[in-house]
Amino acid sequence: MEKLSSSCQKEEGITLFTGFARTIILYAIIIVGIRLMGKRQVGELEPSELVLSLLIADLASVPMQDVELPLHTGVVPMLTLLAITMAMSVLTVKSIRFRTLLCGQPSIVIKKGAIDQREMSKTRLTIDELLEELRGQGYTDLSTVEYAILETNGMLSVLPYQNQKPPSALDLGVAVSGGGLPAILISDGNLIQKNLALGGHSLDWLNEKMREFGVSNMRDIFLLTVDEAGAVYCIAKELPHRGGAA
Amino acid sequence: MMGRLWVALLVLAGILTAALSTSQWLDGLTEDIIVQLEQAEELALAEDWSGATTATQDALQLWTDSQFPLHALMRHAETDDIQISFHQVLEYLEQEDIDLYAAMNGQLVTQLELLAEMERPSLENVL
Repeated sequence: MEKLSSSCQKEEGITLFTGFARTIILYAIIIVGIRLMGKRQVGELEPSELVLSLLIADLASVPMQDVELPLHTGVVPMLTLLAITMAMSVLTVKSIRFRTLLCGQPSIVIKKGAIDQREMSKTRLTIDELLEELRGQGYTDLSTVEYAILETNGMLSVLPYQNQKPPSALDLGVAVSGGGLPAILISDGNLIQKNLALGGHSLDWLNEKMREFGVSNMRDIFLLTVDEAGAVYCIAKELPHRGGAA
Repeated sequence: MMGRLWVALLVLAGILTAALSTSQWLDGLTEDIIVQLEQAEELALAEDWSGATTATQDALQLWTDSQFPLHALMRHAETDDIQISFHQVLEYLEQEDIDLYAAMNGQLVTQLELLAEMERPSLENVL
């Protein structure tokens, strides 16, 4: 009896360890897989990418929960799916026909100000959904929209009539100077040496700028950026919050 | 860009090769074990119980030597069942009960055949 009990304890230990180790391995594979997919947001996935995400999540959970199954029952299908997705992503870039076949084509649901009801029916987009999307993008009046295109990732692109577009600085003939892309030099008290060197600035220059903002220690800065024109933006760290009733 | 395509194709080819190699290796392993078990049964029918026990133990040794890949590649329930069947066959051999031994040995052979069949690259398995 004692022997059986000790054997059971050993089995339980193995199962716990297996579950723990497998979770780490599968998590690493999923992270690598999602990284390979690119930087798109979940809401902007193409149909093939959405299918991949759903399948990978499901495949990973099976060997993670059922330690009776070998790890490869999850890993092999996951690697296969990732490899197929990687191959297809290359083919979609190389071939327009393949891209159309895999991702579909954008649908013009509003053309020259008129709603294309046939196209809406084809894409199964209801008038409520269309109006909701338009409102979400700041268009409450349909007559101001010249084109609305339902993209292959499900997003709606809206193009207003030319006379409804806000005027640009060029239209107004106003000269504006841009600061360019700001680079982060200090993030949460940590100096980013690479950005400092890329901007051609020295540590002395940074110390001087910090003094201008009344900060002597880098650790007291939450964020410090500098744009291409040399304009510095600095936010000091907030003092630690003291909890409790007064 | 084309590098990614080649990497993807290499991964797919690697997985396919591994799957086919596993199937071939498992076919060979189960075939060797089954041959040993059938020889053991012939010896048992000739009432050479010690010869039958040695042949079955040799078969078990072949199985035990491949425990790591078997455990990593097969469903654990299947491999555990075969392990238990081996011990039952050896138990019946010790008791020198030919009926029970033959029935259990037959079951073990079928379990091994099914295990190899499960990994075979056939349309039947795919569907």
